[in-house]
Amino acid sequence: MTRSRTDLQDLLFGLFLLAVATGTLVATRNLTVGHAADMGPGYMPRVVALALMAFGVFFTGRGLWRAGRGIAPVQLRPLLAILASVGVFALTAERLGLAVASVAAVMLASFATREGRLVETVAFAIVLSGAAVLLFVKLLGLPIPIWPR
Amino acid sequence: MELFDNLLMGLSTALQLNNLIFCLIGVVIGTAIGVLPGIGPIPTVALLLPFTFGLSPASAMIMLAGIFYGAQYGGSTTAILVNVPGETSSVVTCIDGHEMAKQGRAGTALAIAAIASFFAGTMATIVIAVLSVPLSVLALKFTAVEYFSLLVLGLIAAVVLAHGSVAKSLAMVLLGLLLGLVGIDVSSGVARMTFGIAALSDGLDFVPIAMGLFGLGEIIANLERPAERRVVSQSIRSLIPSWQDLRAAFPAVVRGTALGSVLGVLPGGGAALPPFSSYALEKKLARDPSRFGKGAIEGVAGPEAANNAGAQTSFIPLLTLGIPANALMALMIGALMMQGIQPGPQIMTEQPKLVWGVIASMWVGNLMLLIINLPLVGLWVSMLKIPYRLLFPAIVLFCCIGTYGIANSLFNVWLMMGCALIGYFFIKIGVEPAPLLLGLVLGPQLEENFRRAMLIADGDFTVFLSRPISAVILAVVAALLLAMLSPAILRTRKEALAE
Repeated sequence: MTRSRTDLQDLLFGLFLLAVATGTLVATRNLTVGHAADMGPGYMPRVVALALMAFGVFFTGRGLWRAGRGIAPVQLRPLLAILASVGVFALTAERLGLAVASVAAVMLASFATREGRLVETVAFAIVLSGAAVLLFVKLLGLPIPIWPR
Repeated sequence: MELFDNLLMGLSTALQLNNLIFCLIGVVIGTAIGVLPGIGPIPTVALLLPFTFGLSPASAMIMLAGIFYGAQYGGSTTAILVNVPGETSSVVTCIDGHEMAKQGRAGTALAIAAIASFFAGTMATIVIAVLSVPLSVLALKFTAVEYFSLLVLGLIAAVVLAHGSVAKSLAMVLLGLLLGLVGIDVSSGVARMTFGIAALSDGLDFVPIAMGLFGLGEIIANLERPAERRVVSQSIRSLIPSWQDLRAAFPAVVRGTALGSVLGVLPGGGAALPPFSSYALEKKLARDPSRFGKGAIEGVAGPEAANNAGAQTSFIPLLTLGIPANALMALMIGALMMQGIQPGPQIMTEQPKLVWGVIASMWVGNLMLLIINLPLVGLWVSMLKIPYRLLFPAIVLFCCIGTYGIANSLFNVWLMMGCALIGYFFIKIGVEPAPLLLGLVLGPQLEENFRRAMLIADGDFTVFLSRPISAVILAVVAALLLAMLSPAILRTRKEALAE
């Protein structure tokens, strides 16, 4: 962890909260607010969003004001590989079937580390795919196609 | 004896063959995840929720509970043999447990850990049973006003006692509340924050959120730091501790159990607080504190007892009042809701078979764990040889299929992906995601009870203070918040939570 002149952890959290709060206020701008005795659907979201905004301002301010911890460098390899693995599963599961989607997801996830060996990964992906089909489709009756339609 | 009747009723539920099997499945899975570092009980429970839909509520809860306390048991094996905590709660066990293993006393350390856990589990079951009755009587007096205050107390206490910055945790609770509001508003039928997505009209499923935040986010972060694992190679000689060891360990076990039982009930204390406090206590009481860190048996016995007692008594708020003490209990509440059971103060009177069945199953499960853990320790050690490079892709795949299976919806898989990214972001900026999950699960109930309370009181906010039970609860909330501002408490809290 590096030291930095701003507290990056606080700053990023503050900005994140501000973004969420603003987004909520925009998304709920057309909902009736009502009043305490008869609350409309917009009452609670608005109250919570305003409180979040206050926290956002606090953390952003504190992050800028005080020196603090930096952020450990982001390693893209595991991040992208895991996200891609989930994404590919979501794209292929219903179209190409669970068997294919599982192999693709496991292979992609394995790229997250350099330790993987290709032959081992392929073999393991096929075994896992078979196990997943057996367990989820045959045993538990998950309504998902096994093969491409 | 009402208590006796209740326990007998619970035992009759817990000892049904199918419930025994689900209890066994739960504790075996729990032990496995406890042994394997890299995946915690929260994503595991989330992952297994879809499997429990077909079960009766009691079987589902018995299995999920087994996973939780099973994980507390299993974590110590890895801590002693590999010096890596399988579970956050066994961080302390590493210190003296691994030292004992290096001195060739691995078997004794494992046995003491298991015996301490079993003793603590048994005592904690009794504590739960004894406390449950008066709490449930009190709970019957609750209306929307009191329940709202109670929910606020649950959320605030969880924040105050949890790891890390209080302000950040409060913000996370609010974030969770906000996410809990997504979906069709029950009273007006208006869609809120659904962005026109049909899958959002029923609200956000908390399973993909939990799996993304706790499971995948954690995996990504884990992969960034290459960890090496070295199992202590010498064979485990004897699993039977000597009389001398038992005598040295016993007082620590009793103190650890008492401490853990108290700390477990407090919301948010969860996994880390009881074992750390117990270790500190043992060190303070020891005639020769310098032995600690060099293989002191009390340093294994006390914390192991404390963490198992704490794991079990953390069920008390859930089983008697219907509010969760930590993020894992929030998932349990979710499991109940999926079963069509509305958690709340009435849960004990409306679902006695379920509640007492779960309580009795804990003792049964603890007995199973003693058997599973000691004679089969070799099996668990061999599990440690599964390399992480094979383990994590399997977890990712099962998370994908598991989230999909909850509602057969690909939307949930995308939601999990988004939450994985956010979970990773939270880890990077040092924010605990647990309070978010509590807010998410309690949010809808909080809003519903708030609106109902306001309707009763005609918009008069003072109703929360004019009703005695609610006023007392809110006074506790205020005291907790004030205490957080006091520098002395801030300091001890930092010490207690320091790792």
